[in-house]
Amino acid sequence: MKVSLEWLREYVDFDVEPGELARMLTMSGTAVDTMFTFGAGVSGVLVCEVLEVGPHPDADTLRLAVVSDGTGTRPIVCGAPNLAEGMKAALALPGATLPTVSEGKLEAVTIRGVRSEGMMVSGLELGISEDHSGILELDAAASVGMDLHEVLPLDDVIFELEVTPNRPDCMSMLGVAREVAALTGGTLRRPALDVDETGGPVFELAKVFIEDPSGCPRYTARVVTEVGIGPSPGWMARRLLASGLRPINNVVDITNYVLMETGQPLHAFDLDLLGERTIVVRRARPGEKMTTLDGAERPLGQSALVIADAREPVALAGIMGGEDSEVTEHSRNILIESAFFDPTGIMLTSRKLGLRTEASARFERGCDPEGTAVAALRAAVLMAGLAGGKVAEGDIDVYPREFTPVTVEVRPERVNRVLGTEIPASEMAQILGRLEIRVEEGETLKATPPSFRPDLEREIDMIEEIARIYGYDRIPAGLPAGAGADAGLSRRQLLASRIADSLVSLGLSEVYLYSFMRRADLDLLRVGDGDRMRRVVALLNPLAETGEVMRTTLLPGLLRAAAGNFNRGNRDLALFETGRVFISRSVEETPEEIDSLGVLLYGALGPPSWSEPARPADFFDLKGSLESLAGAIGVELGFEPAEITFLAPGRSSRVLLAGDDVGVAGQLHPAVSTAFGLEGDVFVAELEIAPLLDAAPEVRQFIPVGRYPNVKVDIAVVVDEDLAADQVERRILSSGGVLLRSVRLFDLYTGPQVPPGRKSLAYALEFGSAEGTLTDEQAHAEMGRIVAALEEQFGAVLRGGGNRGG
Amino acid sequence: MTLKEELLISVEERPEMAALVNDALGALQGCGSLREIEDARVRLLGKKGTVTSVFKGLAVLPPEEKAVVGRIGNLLRQVIEEEVDALRRNIEHRETERRLAAQTLDVTLPGRRRGIGHRHLLAQVIEEATRIFVGLGYEVAEGPEVELDYYNFEALNQPPYHPARSLNDTLYVRRPDPICDDPADIMLRTHTSPVQVRVMEKRRPPLYVISPGRAYRRDEIDATHSAVFHQVEGLAVDRDITLGHLKGTLEVFAHKLFGRERDVRFRPHYFPFTEPSAEMDVSCFKCLGAGCSLCKGAGWLEILGCGMVDPNVFGYVGYDPEEFTGFAFGMGVERIAMLKYGIDDMRVFYEDDARFLRQF
Repeated sequence: MKVSLEWLREYVDFDVEPGELARMLTMSGTAVDTMFTFGAGVSGVLVCEVLEVGPHPDADTLRLAVVSDGTGTRPIVCGAPNLAEGMKAALALPGATLPTVSEGKLEAVTIRGVRSEGMMVSGLELGISEDHSGILELDAAASVGMDLHEVLPLDDVIFELEVTPNRPDCMSMLGVAREVAALTGGTLRRPALDVDETGGPVFELAKVFIEDPSGCPRYTARVVTEVGIGPSPGWMARRLLASGLRPINNVVDITNYVLMETGQPLHAFDLDLLGERTIVVRRARPGEKMTTLDGAERPLGQSALVIADAREPVALAGIMGGEDSEVTEHSRNILIESAFFDPTGIMLTSRKLGLRTEASARFERGCDPEGTAVAALRAAVLMAGLAGGKVAEGDIDVYPREFTPVTVEVRPERVNRVLGTEIPASEMAQILGRLEIRVEEGETLKATPPSFRPDLEREIDMIEEIARIYGYDRIPAGLPAGAGADAGLSRRQLLASRIADSLVSLGLSEVYLYSFMRRADLDLLRVGDGDRMRRVVALLNPLAETGEVMRTTLLPGLLRAAAGNFNRGNRDLALFETGRVFISRSVEETPEEIDSLGVLLYGALGPPSWSEPARPADFFDLKGSLESLAGAIGVELGFEPAEITFLAPGRSSRVLLAGDDVGVAGQLHPAVSTAFGLEGDVFVAELEIAPLLDAAPEVRQFIPVGRYPNVKVDIAVVVDEDLAADQVERRILSSGGVLLRSVRLFDLYTGPQVPPGRKSLAYALEFGSAEGTLTDEQAHAEMGRIVAALEEQFGAVLRGGGNRGG
Repeated sequence: MTLKEELLISVEERPEMAALVNDALGALQGCGSLREIEDARVRLLGKKGTVTSVFKGLAVLPPEEKAVVGRIGNLLRQVIEEEVDALRRNIEHRETERRLAAQTLDVTLPGRRRGIGHRHLLAQVIEEATRIFVGLGYEVAEGPEVELDYYNFEALNQPPYHPARSLNDTLYVRRPDPICDDPADIMLRTHTSPVQVRVMEKRRPPLYVISPGRAYRRDEIDATHSAVFHQVEGLAVDRDITLGHLKGTLEVFAHKLFGRERDVRFRPHYFPFTEPSAEMDVSCFKCLGAGCSLCKGAGWLEILGCGMVDPNVFGYVGYDPEEFTGFAFGMGVERIAMLKYGIDDMRVFYEDDARFLRQF
């Protein structure tokens, strides 16, 4: 809502600076988003009259005008389509400044061989509107040669207000003036409504019927006869421009002016075009259509409320008028509609038709049911004064559902208990009174809000009014005395952040990805029909660019993030995301939401150093990251070869926790990498987080470290090449006895030193005892048992072994 | 008294030994390398050494002289051993220094860094906000991102047919009637407030809860809009919670997150689920309140929305608004990150360019 301070002063006096007024409004809930001086930076622009328009000799899109500037004539080259002989326009002389043209830039020029001594400018070029469809047409009464500042409200300060949806009353000049009066202690001035009703009794001129009183609780009509359609006077056109409205003609401008003034949407019908001069407010009939003022032919659903004449719809009630009954330059007799429509009905129809207007926006929020007659009269008064019309005697006021005010009981101690204040009851009553809320003081305050405040129905609504006028900044701040018994992070929340922190310490960076994907992504991953990942949650109204279903896997997002990085030259990536995936249960239910961890390694590991070449990441870096993060929360993961559609055969693994599947890890299948635009080896894993948190031990039991050093022994055994390494390790652990403290594979060898089809695995073993330092003999005895067990189970051959010392 | 001083005093009793002592000590003085020291030591203390020969000659001396000469001989041997050790240490030290000097490192070469990764900036902001509220006695609650209309709108007192409840503004999963709102409609939550309703439904006050998380809006993605965004919302319900408590709590939060020097103000506003409602502004980071392009000349930046929980919301969860009052607040994580770190395009958060991730 744009508010011109020049216009606002018509309704209320205030002696604060615009900046201070803006602050007061902002701090009472009607935020001033921006404040600007209308047409700031305009100089050297004056009113001109276009005397002649001729073709440009050398350009089809340009025309040559001769204009009068008050002292003489000038040739002007102009491309505006609305250029016409006799029009008054704004002429920027050589040397003029405009908000869009810096000083000294505008000079007389020769355009395609024709001299142009100035420029006729648009509203946009003047910085007073968004209109750049043609040059700004000025009031015909403006005197030629006058500076534009004397014709347009160029030095007026404009507030752009953010009106909250609960305050339809503030979508009007009077409503804002009322707030200003309440804040400054000023008095609200309402416009005078005196008029001689010389147009004959209204009942003889028109009829109004309401067939749907719940959709239209009130319809007030005024008739003005014998109007002369013409341009509005300068002061009205200026104020409309300042409010962001384009002047059209005096009758239409008056309906817009009263709308802006009172907040009551009005519509002017050409009375002579209404069948039987009758208005019927009713639901649309099956198959009915109408053409609205914007030229669109609209089929009307049956729930749409329409204004019809005796035959057919002539307006979409509360939303937009119809073309057939529009006021034109030939109109003589006008019916002014000033109605109150059911907000929900307007909202529904507006939503269905996808059509929102100044009128519908106000009706949706709730207008003043008691304000229709005043607004209609105000418009009639202006039409009599500015369009020479005769106002018919009386109005037709059909009011089947009368407004009954509610009275709210306000307990002063409750007000203070909610706000944490000690405001006296008398001050509360006084604040409410300033907002035109009728208050009866007693034990409690009995508050009756005015009809234009549909938002005030409950005690809490009144508390808010008291608080905002009293001033939020005057309410003392403090902290609550209590605190929650469950304060702090839960164990699971701590563990979850531990997972992220340990991945970060392992060199991975966290990414945030969209929660959407495309069904086609699953095809790229070659996911089978029966797979859980196919149980997607589809969006009804997805955004084109982000994907039409919720993700069932983090991988497409991770791969796209990697590809995006790759394309921007970031070739070495270690990324993870902890995010939700969504698995559909059925279309009627909300889906299962699973917190997942996705990991991606690509390119070289770690920051490259000047002293060592960077090593490319491989499967064991991926696996090691998962093992380390599991270790950080005290759980152990298992890995088992598996066939996974999007992973490379022989390089993919199920990830197990206590025997249950918790995810997958492996090298991406090259075909999938290519499909996502990545070259080379990509390593990915995806795990469910909940099972990890479930399995994490609440308290880890202390294991005595022993005061004696361990004995370290290395052994190398030769086994069949396809024997899984972890089987050997498990056998070592199971045969090692209580003295075996740890096992670590430190070498894997295939080559000339071992027979074909065999490999050598070298392990570092540590033996120790709480009783004392072990002798070499004891350690070797232990080792002998292990070697024997490996020989027996896997046909392993001892390749070498030795004591590495204590 | 040092051994050497004792030796020099003792030798006065046998002046004929003075030359031997002087020669021995002199021989050591001239040694410049470990080798020369060893040679000198052997010459003096070796089997055929000049000092060793003193002991060999003892046998022929009368007993009273034997004691004196033996004592001087012993002292001399000890002094020589001491001097040899000192000379050796000295030379070894010099050699170590020389060797190190020859192997000087360029300490300005880059260190061998271990690649530590980075939490995403949004995660860091969420963690920071969480830490502050945990310190104020709050717990953290989570809830589903795909929600029922009932929790996302209805029970939060959102009026029917509000534009937010339309296919234009909200991403829907299920909506049998495209025009009319139904509490059973399924959508991507448009804020994390439904978590508050779920918590209140299950529990009784006192409640001090924050709910950080992801929310969705049907916004085409550009520099200032994102279909996915994050919020941290909070709720305090107890006996006698006041608007003053809301102000105090959020002032502490703003000062912790943005710094003590920031001013904070509360402006009346409107939200369906709170009344009275407010927006909290902090003085502009860039101009400190003077007015600049970041704050559009206002000197203030809008940080979050808040208010006293509307009694209607308590009605949905069965709390008596006469017994309990509460406040709620919610902030956009992206907005806070953008303001605090000077980021002007929301897309950087979701493009995850490694060069962005590495910065924080």
